[in-house]
Amino acid sequence: MTAERSAALHGEVVERDVVIVGGGPAGLSAAARLASAGLAVTILDEQPELGGQYYRRPAPAVAEQWGDHRPDGGRLIARVRAAGAECRTGHLVWGVDDDGRTLLASDAAGHPVRLRARHLVLATGAFERVFPFPGWQLPGVTTPGFAQHLAAGDHTTIGERVVLAGSGPFLLPVACSLIELGVTVVGIAEAGRPYRPSLRALGALGHPARLRELAGYVARLARARVPIWQETVVLRADGRDRVSSVTLAAAARPARPVRTVEVDALCVGYGFRPQTDLARMLGCAVRVDVASGDAVPVTDAAGRASRADVYVVGEAAGIGGVHAAKARGLAAAHDILTREVRETVPVAEVRRVASARRRLARFTALTDSLYPGPAALLATLAPALPADTMVCRCEAVRAEEIRATAAGSADGDLNATKAWSRAGMGPCQGRECGFAVAGLVRSVAPRPGAGDGESRVEVFPSRLPVRPIPLATLLELAGPDSQEGDRS
Amino acid sequence: MTTRTADAVIVGAGVLGASVASHLARSGHRVLVLDRGAPGREGSGTTAGNLHMQAVHTKRPGQAVPLDSARFLPLQRAASDRWETLEEELETSVEVRRTGGFTIAETDEQCRELHDKHGWEAAAGIPTEILDGDAARAALPLLGPTVAAATWCDLDGYANPLKVTPAYLDSAARHGGRTLAFAPVRRITRNGDGWRVVAGHGAAERVVDTPVVVDVAGPWLGEIAAMAGITLRMTPVAIQMHATVRSSATMSHLVQHIGEGLSVKQVAAGNLLIGGGWPALSMDLAGRSGTSLDSLVGNVALAVRVLPFIRDLRLLRMWAGPLAATPDEMPVIGEVPGAPGFYVAGGTYAFTFAPLWGETLRCLIEGKPPPVDISDLGPGRLMVPAGGSARDNGLEQENPQDRRSKRC
Ligand SMILES: Cc1cc2nc3c(=O)[nH]c(=O)nc-3n(C[C@H](O)[C@H](O)[C@H](O)COP(=O)(O)OP(=O)(O)OC[C@H]3O[C@@H](n4cnc5c(N)ncnc54)[C@H](O)[C@@H]3O)c2cc1C
Ligand SMILES: Cc1cc2nc3c(=O)[nH]c(=O)nc-3n(C[C@H](O)[C@H](O)[C@H](O)COP(=O)(O)OP(=O)(O)OC[C@H]3O[C@@H](n4cnc5c(N)ncnc54)[C@H](O)[C@@H]3O)c2cc1C
Repeated sequence: MTAERSAALHGEVVERDVVIVGGGPAGLSAAARLASAGLAVTILDEQPELGGQYYRRPAPAVAEQWGDHRPDGGRLIARVRAAGAECRTGHLVWGVDDDGRTLLASDAAGHPVRLRARHLVLATGAFERVFPFPGWQLPGVTTPGFAQHLAAGDHTTIGERVVLAGSGPFLLPVACSLIELGVTVVGIAEAGRPYRPSLRALGALGHPARLRELAGYVARLARARVPIWQETVVLRADGRDRVSSVTLAAAARPARPVRTVEVDALCVGYGFRPQTDLARMLGCAVRVDVASGDAVPVTDAAGRASRADVYVVGEAAGIGGVHAAKARGLAAAHDILTREVRETVPVAEVRRVASARRRLARFTALTDSLYPGPAALLATLAPALPADTMVCRCEAVRAEEIRATAAGSADGDLNATKAWSRAGMGPCQGRECGFAVAGLVRSVAPRPGAGDGESRVEVFPSRLPVRPIPLATLLELAGPDSQEGDRS
Repeated sequence: MTTRTADAVIVGAGVLGASVASHLARSGHRVLVLDRGAPGREGSGTTAGNLHMQAVHTKRPGQAVPLDSARFLPLQRAASDRWETLEEELETSVEVRRTGGFTIAETDEQCRELHDKHGWEAAAGIPTEILDGDAARAALPLLGPTVAAATWCDLDGYANPLKVTPAYLDSAARHGGRTLAFAPVRRITRNGDGWRVVAGHGAAERVVDTPVVVDVAGPWLGEIAAMAGITLRMTPVAIQMHATVRSSATMSHLVQHIGEGLSVKQVAAGNLLIGGGWPALSMDLAGRSGTSLDSLVGNVALAVRVLPFIRDLRLLRMWAGPLAATPDEMPVIGEVPGAPGFYVAGGTYAFTFAPLWGETLRCLIEGKPPPVDISDLGPGRLMVPAGGSARDNGLEQENPQDRRSKRC
């Protein structure tokens, strides 16, 4: 009956063997392998170009003048296209149809597209983990990812004197990219204490490439005389029309200033959070990752979710970096090929990918262990956040309002706090403030809603649409009559 | 697990539970409100929050029986007066907006219905005015060309549902009332002349002895009554709402449709809320009900036809919420015959009726005459004799999917 109704909806329905959402390293790796085995594959990405975060394509003019900063990304994209995968860029997947399996997308012009496949691969990546502080609304304050995009995509700098702050290995390559563009990186404030003399020794030990890479960045920053202030966090940013200074504090005492630095840009980020809206909307089971406090989809080694026709790969399944994302994409591709029995994947190839995946998972665990877990960080930062800090920028909700709601009748329930304070109800749908709101709720009402599993998942529920979509797109689904504004 | 006492135990911290708690606490009763989850998160947290003062369209999409408007309207009139003074009574703003509303008609038949409706309203003392299409567009230029006629009512409005229930609970708390969240009621037994209510699990278990139990558990109203051995015929359904991003266009009136499921308004923050009783995809009384794309598309197409400017906005989010309907679509309120001290109240449009029903329940519990005649609205008409089941009594457990049937 549902299928009947849906058939009455207008708009193209694409039928494929595999539909992949997300054209980053994970989705591209899966697409290349599946399409080269002859499956009908469609890969969608909301961005105008494939590549995702790591392989983001430079603007043509930039590429001409400065070259491609990541040529391997360009080669991977070319392989995907050559293998015959249908590439739909500028396509946002914003929901799931009433049948629970047809994806709803809109193309660059806002026209609706519906897609069905025997296997869905969700490779939707991650978004940056931010935590508010007084002054974070000032122009010139951004995330490290944004600074990186400007640097890589447009060859443009975020500022001339920049402080990077937050936590995690990602701050280091961003600092290096900025230095390459001639920016003065005044310093890096890292909330944890990962950079000890032993790091380099560690890197040399078991050939963990990622640690060696980190050690390399540390060395480059040392040559540029960029100080790394460890166990340091941002207390506040000041400025009139734009940020002009940042005041830092010791992470252990996040309310007491230790130094103020003049800057014209400030980038703050605490790593990444998996983007799991679609997986959750499709009904895939999630579990809470204790260290990060994030909800991550439950998957098997091949990335297969609790729903047999859905795979979640790359950062969407848990943060692990570009190499892990590629390995996960390939593992899912192998699993699908095996199930489709069109081709037996050579045992050696399967083994190679599986062992790379395991090795990378170990390295990820090792690097993660160097940095403070986001959940623990949140527990120290949230109580220290000044009462009048704007936490939800979309709806202008301050920390004290969130605390009062959470401690009051919401009784520690994250979603009740959201509903009653409006934090997370704006156009970003809680992607920006969700982490902080969860921390504030927990800091004033430590008792999670009387022990049922769902309420311990510290993320806002996934609701259609994944991002705000034009009503005109929906009208097109309703059919031509509605579009003309006539009686139907 | 100690036994406590209370003058009244209220099961359900929705808008009705919160209202009756406030009314009872303010007149000196020791009340305890129990909710299985966070307060006000079910029907009362997902509602459109419209204050329906002119006649509501008599059938939601898919609804089996039309509402008896002639009987309903005097109650709406009485509820209207109470919303007038609510913010004063609660000592806080709950964003009550009484900026009036239109009910529009597009077809000849709907125009005729509009005239009938106008007649009932006049009889009940609710002032409405009939406008032809052009006059309606002159009054609200945002209305589209298909609008053939409309009624206008000054009293229509809306309030912020996310503020009303908490404000009632705060008011109860200021007068000594207590609310326990995450304390699901599990057992209700006779205890002498009164009742013993057991809520919560394990170490958090509460046992409360009380002469009065008020069952205002919304869609779970029947389930709670059953704990006390009372079988009531109620039909829980789930319907959905759609919200756009903020719009700079200003529309301060409520717009509804006489013949189809539509209600549109712009809330204080600038977002447009579009609803009208379109069915959710699924009802999940244990968790969150699922939303339906078909309903979204149908509701939005209708909204754009009536208010074309909406076409240029973006959909921000949608959600579904449960509500309890009686088989005759009329509210249920009163003491359960044969179960002294056990009161129930609920049914659709309970948001509009919350101030009136809170006061009415207080009067009933105190043995005073209620402010409106509710003698025909008691639970007796919904009772199933012991041993019978709802199904034996001809109540069709309606599949929410079947509610899709009626469309434009
Ligand atoms: C802002 C940002 C910058 C980063 N920069 C770097 C860096 O410079 N160096 C580094 O080592 N790591 C970087 N990372 C980490 C990086 O995400 C991973 O290492 C790697 O890119 C993960 O690959 P992936 O395929 O899992 O996801 P991604 O590369 O994130 O790709 C996911 C893709 O899915 C698309 N997508 C998501 N949701 C939808 C939807 N609903 N509809 C359609 N398309 C959708 C996105 O547009 C994106 O292109 C960055 C991460 C972020 C968030
Ligand atoms: C989408 C939508 C739009 C609506 N639009 C309007 C409108 O515009 N105007 C209008 O007047 N009405 C509207 N309604 C109807 C109205 O919102 C509801 O009738 C009203 O909010 C119900 O209030 P309630 O207190 O009876 O029930 P609810 O708000 O549903 O509260 C019942 C409470 O009982 C609790 N409970 C359940 N089981 C137990 C247990 N075992 N122990 C303890 N507690 C328990 C629940 O957790 C819940 O909090 C709408 C409803 C919906 C869903």
